Amino acid sequence: MNKAFIVAKHEFLTTVGSKGFILVCIVFPLLIAVPALLFTGSIRSMVTKTPDAIGFVDQTNSLQESKGFIKFPQEEQAKETLLQNEIKFFFVVSSDYYDTGKVFFYSKDDPFSSVSTESVKEFIIENLLREFNLDERVKERIRNPMKQEEFELDRRGEIEKKKSGISSFFPYLLAVVLIMGMLTPSGYMVQGIAAEKENKSVEILVSSISSNQLLTGKILGLGSAAMLQVTIWLVLGITFMFLTPLGPVLQQMELPGLLWMVVPYFILGCLLFAASMACVGTFAGSVREAQQSIQVFSLLAVLPLLFLSSISQSPNSIIARVLTYIPYTCPVTTMMRLSLTEVPLFEIIVSILILLISVIVMIRLSARIFRIEILMYGKKANLRNILRYLKG
Amino acid sequence: MILADEPLDTLKKRIGERIHLRGIDTMRKILEAQYLCKTFNGKAVLKEISFQVKEGEVFGLLGPNGAGKTTMIRIILDILKPDSGVVHLFERQIDEKTKELIGYLPEERGLYPKITVFRCLKYFAELKGLKDPKNRIDFWLEKIGLLGHKNRKVGELSKGMQQEIQFVVSILHDPDFIILDEPFVGLDPINTKVIKDILLELKSKGKTVVLSTHQMDQVEKMCDRILMINKGKSVLYGDLENIKAKYGRSIKVEFKGELKRIKGVKKMSNYGKYAELTLSEEIDPQVVLKALTTQVKIRKFEISAPSLNEIFVDVAQR
Repeated sequence: MNKAFIVAKHEFLTTVGSKGFILVCIVFPLLIAVPALLFTGSIRSMVTKTPDAIGFVDQTNSLQESKGFIKFPQEEQAKETLLQNEIKFFFVVSSDYYDTGKVFFYSKDDPFSSVSTESVKEFIIENLLREFNLDERVKERIRNPMKQEEFELDRRGEIEKKKSGISSFFPYLLAVVLIMGMLTPSGYMVQGIAAEKENKSVEILVSSISSNQLLTGKILGLGSAAMLQVTIWLVLGITFMFLTPLGPVLQQMELPGLLWMVVPYFILGCLLFAASMACVGTFAGSVREAQQSIQVFSLLAVLPLLFLSSISQSPNSIIARVLTYIPYTCPVTTMMRLSLTEVPLFEIIVSILILLISVIVMIRLSARIFRIEILMYGKKANLRNILRYLKG
Repeated sequence: MILADEPLDTLKKRIGERIHLRGIDTMRKILEAQYLCKTFNGKAVLKEISFQVKEGEVFGLLGPNGAGKTTMIRIILDILKPDSGVVHLFERQIDEKTKELIGYLPEERGLYPKITVFRCLKYFAELKGLKDPKNRIDFWLEKIGLLGHKNRKVGELSKGMQQEIQFVVSILHDPDFIILDEPFVGLDPINTKVIKDILLELKSKGKTVVLSTHQMDQVEKMCDRILMINKGKSVLYGDLENIKAKYGRSIKVEFKGELKRIKGVKKMSNYGKYAELTLSEEIDPQVVLKALTTQVKIRKFEISAPSLNEIFVDVAQR
């Protein structure tokens, strides 16, 4: 077996077996999911049995009971039933409802308690419709007046379909997941190399394998661990989201056709940042110093988010195109663009090629600098010495 | 071979490769360094060092702190490149294949504290080309009395135990050439004996060992030949017995009382109750004995070659 794969296997198993990895994999999705579940009351419905029925008091005396809606003659009886936790909440249709439209809602003083006005609206509309002998199609249109589809004209006057609500949020979500995923192996890389330098195991390693094999193995192993981490995040995140009322909304979300492109961009992005961080880890004197240096590269990864509004409004603008051709901003920018509009094929091919070449160059450069650092044992590596060795 | 658990085909292949590497000469030079020079920031760390290490010998690499021993070892292992000069291992330049025939214990120890002893040993063994090292790991852990700690994390072991594990890393893959940089530092007398016995066992199996240490008594007991470097220069090189013989006669004396200067004694190392006296060529030891009896009460008197420690101090102070 190639020794780079032995290193990759070791790095992967060491990383995924660490308490930190397990903590980050489980805790991070929980940090997002738990507030979401609390907010939507889903936890309450999961852990306690909440009544489904809704009570009402009709002062107009025109509404009829139907499935899930219980009629009470007086407010007092409705209140008593609510306190006994037999109904979710109740509402009172005011006697002057037909003039004012006033409906009063009553629920318990409880952080998990919520009123679903949408179901009440549907209930009142059904009751009102019963009073008129309308065509069934008209009734349906009163229930659902329109199914909205929006279009936008670009500068050339060409029509593009506008993304609706949740779909327009998708590029931002994708960018955040990509950035976090790409920076994850980098963090492990920089800490791993600095730790090996600190505990001196690097001397045994370089007496057994070449620095090229060592770094390639590290990048592959840590990159695989990062991909596993992001996959766990996505699976857990999506599962939790579907437990909330956001589930049906997410199902309606329009995913871009080229979403699979996220895979090559993510892999190449991971490798590029990991190789770059290897340089940082090599120069750093200690784990703490290395962690501080990560921030510089993190800024590069986050850079496309600073242009988020510009890219969202005009995904094919000059700024968006320039960021597509810069290796460090390319993965996030291109995926944001792809989720918003159609990106010319040649731009995708060129950006992937640039990214691929950058990864190869960066791995070789990192391996060379890594070796130079070892050559300069006991001395602080400064730029002048490194340039001298690189030329040599 | 110390272990017979290696598959036959692998074993044959390895032996075949070694025969090919070694040729048919029975007094093979495992290591040959010629005119090695190395400079760091304008300061010469090694100045034209040349030496050979022969198969099956324990070779001592000596020198005071900062003499250039570790730099020399790193050049041998191809971690550092010399400014000039050449190193041949197994009669050829070092490459990925020859690296698998070398075992190395660095002075600055390095293990992975957060993984188990077994995983740590397995990783280093695989990097040295061993495919299924489980049996060897168990064998060596049992030999050093740490088999019960196999599944504990390295960081949970005592410093001495970690040092023994590090030693196992250097010999686990059954290397033909072993470089040990200060192998006894930090070990208690029991563990020192364990390591020393293993080294002698390896020597008896025909393995070649380069021992870099400051512990002169160990070198004196174990090494066949030595190279001493001081300030980057080779100052002593060759057969240990010949070197000691060249340094003339010495008297080792155990005594009670206050020892003063004696005529005809070139150098005296006085430890209070024990002293080592290097004699000038013309003086008769009997005359020295007579002079000693006038000063102190003698418990033990021995005429011998000077100890390596005396030679080391003498050369290092020049």
